[in-house]
Amino acid sequence: MSVFTDDVINFTSVLKMAYNFLSGRDYLKKQKFRERKKLISVVLPFSDLSFAAGAVPVFPIRMESFNINQYLLALNSATSILGWGLTTKLLGIIKHFDALKIFDSILDDVLKSINVKYNEMYDLGVESGISSDFCYGIKSLYGMHVSKGKNVDANMNISIRCSAFNKYYESLRKLVPRQIWIDIPPRNIGNALELLTENITKAISDLEDITGNHVADNSLNKQFRIGNQVKRYYKTIIYEISAEDFYPCNPATFAEILSLLGISFQDYNSNAQRYLENIANLVKEMRERIKKGIGMDVSKMPRILLTPVFGGWEPETQEYLYEQGARTLYADWEILGLLEEIPVSKGTNPVEEYARYLLNATTEGIGCDNNTLTDSYQRIAKKMNVDGIIFNQLFGCHSISNCYPMLREKVRKKLEIPITSISFNKIGENVEQIKTRLGAYMEIVKPI
Amino acid sequence: MDVLELLSDYANYLREKKDQGKKIIGFMGHDNIPEELLDAAGFIPLKMIFAGNDDLMNASNDYLPPSTCSFAQSCIGLFSLNPSQYNFLNLIDQFIVSNHCVSDICTSEIITKYFNISRLNFYVSYTQGSEALKYFKLELVDIKHQLEKLIGREIRKQDIIESIKKYNSFKKKLSEINDLDISGSEKLKIFQKAILYGPVILPELDDFIQANRENQARKSKNSVDILFTGCSIFIGDYLIDLIEDSGGDIKYFDTWVGEAYFSQVYEEEDITSNDDPLDFFVQRFKNNKNGDHMVPNYFENKVAQIKEIIKKHQEENGKKLGVINHIIKFCDHINIFQSFLKKELQEEGIQVLNLERDYSRANRGQLSTRVEAFMEMM
Repeated sequence: MSVFTDDVINFTSVLKMAYNFLSGRDYLKKQKFRERKKLISVVLPFSDLSFAAGAVPVFPIRMESFNINQYLLALNSATSILGWGLTTKLLGIIKHFDALKIFDSILDDVLKSINVKYNEMYDLGVESGISSDFCYGIKSLYGMHVSKGKNVDANMNISIRCSAFNKYYESLRKLVPRQIWIDIPPRNIGNALELLTENITKAISDLEDITGNHVADNSLNKQFRIGNQVKRYYKTIIYEISAEDFYPCNPATFAEILSLLGISFQDYNSNAQRYLENIANLVKEMRERIKKGIGMDVSKMPRILLTPVFGGWEPETQEYLYEQGARTLYADWEILGLLEEIPVSKGTNPVEEYARYLLNATTEGIGCDNNTLTDSYQRIAKKMNVDGIIFNQLFGCHSISNCYPMLREKVRKKLEIPITSISFNKIGENVEQIKTRLGAYMEIVKPI
Repeated sequence: MDVLELLSDYANYLREKKDQGKKIIGFMGHDNIPEELLDAAGFIPLKMIFAGNDDLMNASNDYLPPSTCSFAQSCIGLFSLNPSQYNFLNLIDQFIVSNHCVSDICTSEIITKYFNISRLNFYVSYTQGSEALKYFKLELVDIKHQLEKLIGREIRKQDIIESIKKYNSFKKKLSEINDLDISGSEKLKIFQKAILYGPVILPELDDFIQANRENQARKSKNSVDILFTGCSIFIGDYLIDLIEDSGGDIKYFDTWVGEAYFSQVYEEEDITSNDDPLDFFVQRFKNNKNGDHMVPNYFENKVAQIKEIIKKHQEENGKKLGVINHIIKFCDHINIFQSFLKKELQEEGIQVLNLERDYSRANRGQLSTRVEAFMEMM
């Protein structure tokens, strides 16, 4: 049974986000065929340029058909008549008469549906020729493109320090012939910023060619403004709400919301304005609930940063940590420098500002070596004032996971908080081992 | 000359050079490092081209997870265990952290951080467009400055040009060796030694060519001709023996310890006419279309290149050429395309063996069986 239901039933923004994620296929079909929009596959949170070009960025798993809980479907139909707010209020009342406990499975189904699909894509990636030695992220992403890559008009490939990922981009050429490349210089030396600005200009030109739209500075700035607001709300959740002694829901739900944000932030559910409204409502709802005392006292529960999860992780981890009396926090995009805002003030060159944003993320966030990357982990853990770190070592990840020994050394010396690692290969594959490890870890995490 | 003798001689050579005041710069060998620049600055470039074993791989587990490229693991193991035959690695003064692949970054960084070796940085773009070329030039200027800081003087343009010429002749000489009708193992031994020492062994290469031209009669012509691609065979690896024992003969080393290295040559007349010698390296980077670091056309170029070599070989020798794609476990660049490469080539009737392995001794029997089966099929 889900531990989240009571929390979620009235959480309109969460239900909306979940629904928008799962119903992506219908939305995207409408965009492609009715609105004649071009679909651009994006992985990692690099959707801004596609939005500015009037294209529709899509994190490719969202083109899949998900098993959507029938009540979530019914909920959506009801909202078209009653609106989301009234509908969820009604659901809250009905919940009290829910003898069959049907609501208990709503969010559980949402999460299971996403996880099952991820694993399906993983299997498809391996069947299609990607060696099982690669990380979960690459295998499942390749599978997503095998499955639905034919529906997209281009891939947005932004080089990062991970050589496997850059090669994965290249491997997609067979599936999606049109590729838009932005090669980020590994270091900020000389006129690297200028070179990256030129690269981005070319990528914009490719997008203009694909969409037939002209990308004006205003379009870029408009999108960056939306993105900046989204990032501000995201940071509010990470730094302010997560630091509260009273949560607007139980910590397991809170972790689920963070994980849903992490996935959906990559393409803003293909509609930036709608996503902004959802995340704004999320923050508002969270604050209102805290104010009204709806939620849970978490003051005695240690705050554990579980990272990195963007390449795949075992979702049961957060539930288990909750059972062990801890709250799980996710902040990958902030650690990697991708929640930094892009200046949009008058007189700025938006292309250059975007270049600066990418270059800073590369050199200061992700880093061109493990020393920088581990500094990023440390800096954010300190800023979030967490009580412990669990490092998710992804099998086959040669970029991020490799930094764990260095991170452990730094965290023990400088932050003096407990840190451990758990191994992950595929969802559901290693649950018992993870639990054993976490059980031992939780014994050394000081209760507050 | 066996491996121990090679390493022992090399250790003596390096000690001698150190005694003369020379400094040594180590790096994970790859095709975009401007070793001529190191040479022009008076350094001895030391490329990490040594095969691993179980002990070396295991020793890296304190620093990197086991799902790391076996070659990278072994490089760390060499510094961590410091086996006596490799103790010349203690003579390294600086180590270049570069990004041929992410394991190159992590491994080089660990070597500099945990084994107290000063670090130099040299990063390259993944693409080869005009901005990538300009960025490559920035990195060249930067590493030149890093080197100049170390030696306390400017590296003269003329010295760089002389170094480029020297390496150019050296690589052309290796190309000549490649054309000799000798066994693959004989070629590989001399390639490995040459790439380890650099142009200083040019006279030895001349002697080798002379001796082998005079004695061109091959012992056996019944072997199966092989194009060897993917990851290089490094010093101390048994793989070449295993292939020859199974009846194979490597005709083309389409790897960095092989053609990918010595095919990077310039026309002599171009070397003197160019204004900025760093532009030669930029040009080389631009021409390096088959380098496994590159995106987005590496795979397409590689397939085309292999098909071309095979076609030419069949026309000239009337013999089929099988392909062994050597994949060192967890190598990002070669591993990701292995099934696609096999499929593309097999569609053309070319037989391909994807030989994936780490440096563990226990693999030898299995590798042998697979290679033998492939040779029989050929």
